[in-house]
Amino acid sequence: MVAPLVVFIGALAIYPTVLTVIEAFFHNDPLTPPNHFVGLGNFRGIFSNPQVVSAFENTGWYVLFGVALTVAFGTSIAILLQKKFRGRGIVLAIMILPWALPGVVEGVIWSWIYDPTFGLLNSLLKSLHFLSQYQIFVGTRQLESIFLISLVQVWQITPLAALLILASLQSIPAELYEAARVDGAGWWQVIRKVTLPLIRPGLAIATVEALVLSINIFDQVYVLNAGATTASSVMNTTYFITFQNLNFGQGYALSLLTTVVTVALSVGALKVLYRKVDF
Amino acid sequence: MTRTYRRHVGVFAVVAMVGATLAVGVGNAASAKTLAGTTINVAIAYPAPPKATLAKFTKQTGIKVNWSYIQWDDLQTKIAAAAEANTYFADVTDVDWSKVGEYYQTKWFLPLNKYFSPKSIASQYPQLSSFVRNGTLMGMPMDVSLLVTTVNKADFSRAGITTMPTTLTKYTSDLQLIAKKGIVAHPLDIPFSAAEGLSTYWYEVTAAMGGQVLSSSYAPLFTSKSSPGYKALAWMVNAYKTGLVPKANLGYEDYQGFETDMAHNLTASVFSDYAGDLGTIYQVPSQSKVVSDVEYIPTPGTTGLASNLANPDGIGIPAKAKHVAAAVQFIKWMEEPANQAAFAGATGSANVISTFPLPSNVGGLNQLAASGKVPGGAALVNLVEHHSRSVFPAGAPPWYPAFSNAVYTNIHSVVAGSESVASAISAIASEIASLKS
Repeated sequence: MVAPLVVFIGALAIYPTVLTVIEAFFHNDPLTPPNHFVGLGNFRGIFSNPQVVSAFENTGWYVLFGVALTVAFGTSIAILLQKKFRGRGIVLAIMILPWALPGVVEGVIWSWIYDPTFGLLNSLLKSLHFLSQYQIFVGTRQLESIFLISLVQVWQITPLAALLILASLQSIPAELYEAARVDGAGWWQVIRKVTLPLIRPGLAIATVEALVLSINIFDQVYVLNAGATTASSVMNTTYFITFQNLNFGQGYALSLLTTVVTVALSVGALKVLYRKVDF
Repeated sequence: MTRTYRRHVGVFAVVAMVGATLAVGVGNAASAKTLAGTTINVAIAYPAPPKATLAKFTKQTGIKVNWSYIQWDDLQTKIAAAAEANTYFADVTDVDWSKVGEYYQTKWFLPLNKYFSPKSIASQYPQLSSFVRNGTLMGMPMDVSLLVTTVNKADFSRAGITTMPTTLTKYTSDLQLIAKKGIVAHPLDIPFSAAEGLSTYWYEVTAAMGGQVLSSSYAPLFTSKSSPGYKALAWMVNAYKTGLVPKANLGYEDYQGFETDMAHNLTASVFSDYAGDLGTIYQVPSQSKVVSDVEYIPTPGTTGLASNLANPDGIGIPAKAKHVAAAVQFIKWMEEPANQAAFAGATGSANVISTFPLPSNVGGLNQLAASGKVPGGAALVNLVEHHSRSVFPAGAPPWYPAFSNAVYTNIHSVVAGSESVASAISAIASEIASLKS
């Protein structure tokens, strides 16, 4: 019964992973054949490339902004949607829409919002007198560019985080809230002492989801930042090294490194956040 | 030997001789007939021609075509991924001029010399040299495309300019006058986003200043301050810093500059535009506010008219193709002058390949010019035949993509304020040294 699943996972996950691990230690560049074993040569190569170092720094910021904002917005939205109200189903359906859109489409939509000539953001800020003239938001300043690109991804992944946390919220028995109120707990105390501790499994999964997607951010950066180093991510740099420069060996090494970092951070986040909750 | 047998031999000999005589003329059709029933996969960065057009090819040859339209960037990734994995991807696919050196080195595509002799067809194909490396033909030109200058003549006229500039100095002062008179605040479009369009813009300005960026041995020709490449980069950066170029263009790719700036009269000229944009963007009422105002002009140079660099797409046969003979028949059919002219719009919209610029060969170009159905067609044909030249006369270097990456990231950084022209020039030259070693 499990044979098809084993074959499926083996072919699509295990085999490519094993291949990546092996190839990361080989010189593999069709422009300078033949392929040969180079030990840690590919890793030394990528770390001596300033574009890769800059991409790692940028990706650190993407992770920080992405995880913090996704979890904060996801939790807030989930708490707001916890109570039943008229039209809640419609709100839920609309909320999930950004999750359903491809990253490239979202990048294009937000490029119109950030556009320095016609953009909605410029128009809004100018009409509110926060700006005297239209600004270039993405492309000049590193942190501002990363924050704004990160916001596009947060807009995409927050709905799933909100649903995961909402599912946890709805599993909390109503009696626990009633008991807290009987004991005189206010709104904030209920959130802090009852809600947050009991939704830790949902929070942990939402955090890991945001973490993995932020480390692997690609589409939004590709559309909004093109090839500029200002806000380039590790995945974009991997793409350029592999498919543009054809240095497949270094591409494999960078992919392997990113995988290791992703797994380590995800396991760390789960260890810190996840607690089994029994009611 | 019996009489009957001798007669049969005689008939056979006559048939053989006639066959040999006609072989050149009917060879294509005869070999095509033997390929009847074959289905080839064609992956191209152009939308498919109308079904009826492809049906004609199938009727002629019996070969069926599965045409997949894949965006250019995605297509390059798929070609590289399939080749690296040593697997079949398509029977016919894109060979961009910028990839010719790479494909020559990697042997990812079959040389086409066996089917098309570069020497004998060179006079018919103005941009053939872009696809030849060390005498090896890596792809056939699928179209002719070149970098051209477009101007909004209404804006120039409002500024009192009635004669179009023929030198870069006059071009710059005309644009300054347009800005000064408040007709268009930032009249020049240069796409400064870190993407390929920025690299090609630099090559074209360098050509206009009478030079090229790399020598035939791929040494940098732009490191001296007096070199055309250095001056071209300084001119572009200065144009941005002095306000000739809209500030927003820091994040604009080439097509955004055409569609957002030029088509909405936010700029009055594109120095390095693409042939065909007049018909596909500026004269399309649904996406343009300058429908009858924009025209092609001969590109201004340092002392007179400049060259227009070739920017063509080609088609070739991947080394892992399954149906090489059928693929060759298909390429020959694509190259027929009548088909090329029809793809570009010579016979009306029914046979057009959307966004197809110009026919790849002289026969097709002449048919297109004679049809009079393509905006600015005659002007473009003139530019192709008299002013067009390759970006790299010896063919693109194998490491072109990495080189171009260094070009556009560094130029973008200069305009973004993170480095100087001198340091960008130095960084690009260092990258070349590293790539060559």
